[in-house]
Amino acid sequence: MQRKAILKTMMMMAAGAVSVLALLAGGTSPASAGSKLTYFTWSGYELPDFHKDFLAKHPDDVEISTFGDDDDALTKVKAGFHPDIAHPCYDKIARWNKEGLLQPIETAKIKNWDKIFPVFRNLPDIQAGEGKVWMVPWDWGNTSVLYRTDLVKDPEASWNLLWDKKYSGRIAVIDAVHDTPVVAALLAGVNPFDMSPADLEKVAAKLHEQRPLVSSYTTDMTSVEQSLASGQLVAAMTWNASAVALKKQGVPVEFMKPKEGMLTWACGFVMLKGTQHADLAYDFINSRLEADSGKFLIESYGYGASTSSAFAAVPKDELQNLQLPDDPDTMLKTTVFTGPMKQNDDLAKMFEKVKAGG
Amino acid sequence: MASFKTDIDAASLRFRFFMMTPGVLVACGLIVFALGLLLFLAFRVNDGSLLGAGATFDNFVNAVSDPLYAMVALRSLVIAALVTLATVVTAYPVAWYLAFHAGSNRSVILFLLTLPFWTSYLLRVFAWKIVLAYNGVLNSALMMTGLTTEPLTVFLNAPAAVIVTLAHAYAPFAILPIYVALETIPPSLREAASDLGARPFTALRRVVLPLSMPGVLAAALVVFVPTVGDYVTPALVGGPASTMIGSLIQSQFGKANDWPFGAALAVLVMLVILALVIIVRRADRLYVGRK
Repeated sequence: MQRKAILKTMMMMAAGAVSVLALLAGGTSPASAGSKLTYFTWSGYELPDFHKDFLAKHPDDVEISTFGDDDDALTKVKAGFHPDIAHPCYDKIARWNKEGLLQPIETAKIKNWDKIFPVFRNLPDIQAGEGKVWMVPWDWGNTSVLYRTDLVKDPEASWNLLWDKKYSGRIAVIDAVHDTPVVAALLAGVNPFDMSPADLEKVAAKLHEQRPLVSSYTTDMTSVEQSLASGQLVAAMTWNASAVALKKQGVPVEFMKPKEGMLTWACGFVMLKGTQHADLAYDFINSRLEADSGKFLIESYGYGASTSSAFAAVPKDELQNLQLPDDPDTMLKTTVFTGPMKQNDDLAKMFEKVKAGG
Repeated sequence: MASFKTDIDAASLRFRFFMMTPGVLVACGLIVFALGLLLFLAFRVNDGSLLGAGATFDNFVNAVSDPLYAMVALRSLVIAALVTLATVVTAYPVAWYLAFHAGSNRSVILFLLTLPFWTSYLLRVFAWKIVLAYNGVLNSALMMTGLTTEPLTVFLNAPAAVIVTLAHAYAPFAILPIYVALETIPPSLREAASDLGARPFTALRRVVLPLSMPGVLAAALVVFVPTVGDYVTPALVGGPASTMIGSLIQSQFGKANDWPFGAALAVLVMLVILALVIIVRRADRLYVGRK
């Protein structure tokens, strides 16, 4: 019987091995084997309302996988998962490109290219030569502190709220390199996008200081929202969508405007090298750039669309409610734009170690 | 081991071949190959590519020289040991009842034991979240009885939550081997103990427990080994203070983007577990020897 137990143990180990192998095997064969377009995106961005036109033209022709963080997404794609379109954020484009994963997108085939705000069209890392880009910007938004106005009375408008010992154990932060470590860098007085090893130490110290206060590092915004609603959390680092969702539920929350600046990010669609479905991909991107798609994004999540036409479709007072200026330039005057981080890998390793307690 | 016949005829040879082929394929393809790949990767230099470049010992040197990894590994071992202890201690009485007192209800109880497996493990973790949460069942009960005036935040996102959740999940794995061990104890031994004047507790301590020890050790092993490397439970209910080695390994394959280092960590953890398994087997042999 003891032998049986050991056998059982072995079988469990084998089960682990099987899953690793399955991942590898899944990796070598393209995921887009069928005639469908494969789209790999942030969870929450898979809703059919975002690409109604595409579905009207090609019902049932898109297969969607989601990720919680675009660093994990990069690893998956590198390991051999081959979607046709993915949805990373701007700060990652140079890395995806370095891995040779991307295929240029012809702006001539993007119907609403000219409607995209120039500030996004002209982002340096997406330029792929005359008439070509690596990424078609689609969404932008902010990262800030979302706090309970009834549980945190008149806080100073600063990211330091997430470092306040008074709220130990009732704080959550985002488990992504381009969020929590960037904020730690801002507070440590370090340029988040280009750090010397000494700067990295300072950021690590700042993150260490925060760790005992944090109840969880997560990208699961649903559970963060639930915890804020129940009062388990009093403040958390979130994106606009959580603020919008909780306000809709009547939870007394405020999306802070920290004096150090909110983080503003922009994300968009990239086409992966060797896609068999370039035509479908263009149709898909085009349908996502329709005004009503962007309107839905703004109204349901409170994120900004990349096109001026989408903003024009949303009533002014609705935008005011969402605290969204109708031009990203206005926003970017007061916020920190999350661009590429030169030491992304070192920062990621350091962040992992801090989270584990080192 | 049964002695082999020397005059195996062709038909039986063929039968054996066909019976063994699937097993050999699975063992070679899924276990030997996967482990080989892991070992190979552990000695590579991380250059961001899938299989790394060049050969190196640095991954192991870094993992051993940085106290963080030893600390997290130790934390995993302690958490797994506590889970094992909690599981075996709570499983023993259940197995005892099943083996000696359940009578005709035995099959019903055995069936009920497997019932939690009808739902996914994730759902069971979330069920514990509901129990332990700030506005959860436990806090509501505490506040209703007046033991606390404000909900406590200590239950969730703490190592204790990981231990409770895992102990619950692995209970059947511990109950079954102990039950089988108890069942095989001849009733005459217990009768003899009581005839010779042993009170029930003495009989348990001096006769039943030592005889069931192989079952207890098997149960401990079955619970301990998978929980050391558990990843999803600490991620969901553990909070930062219960980051286990599994999460660190996963992060090397994910965000930290250093597969060779993750592979080296995995190899080291396997070696630690292997050492523990060998120790338990030695202890087991001790009991079998006494029998």
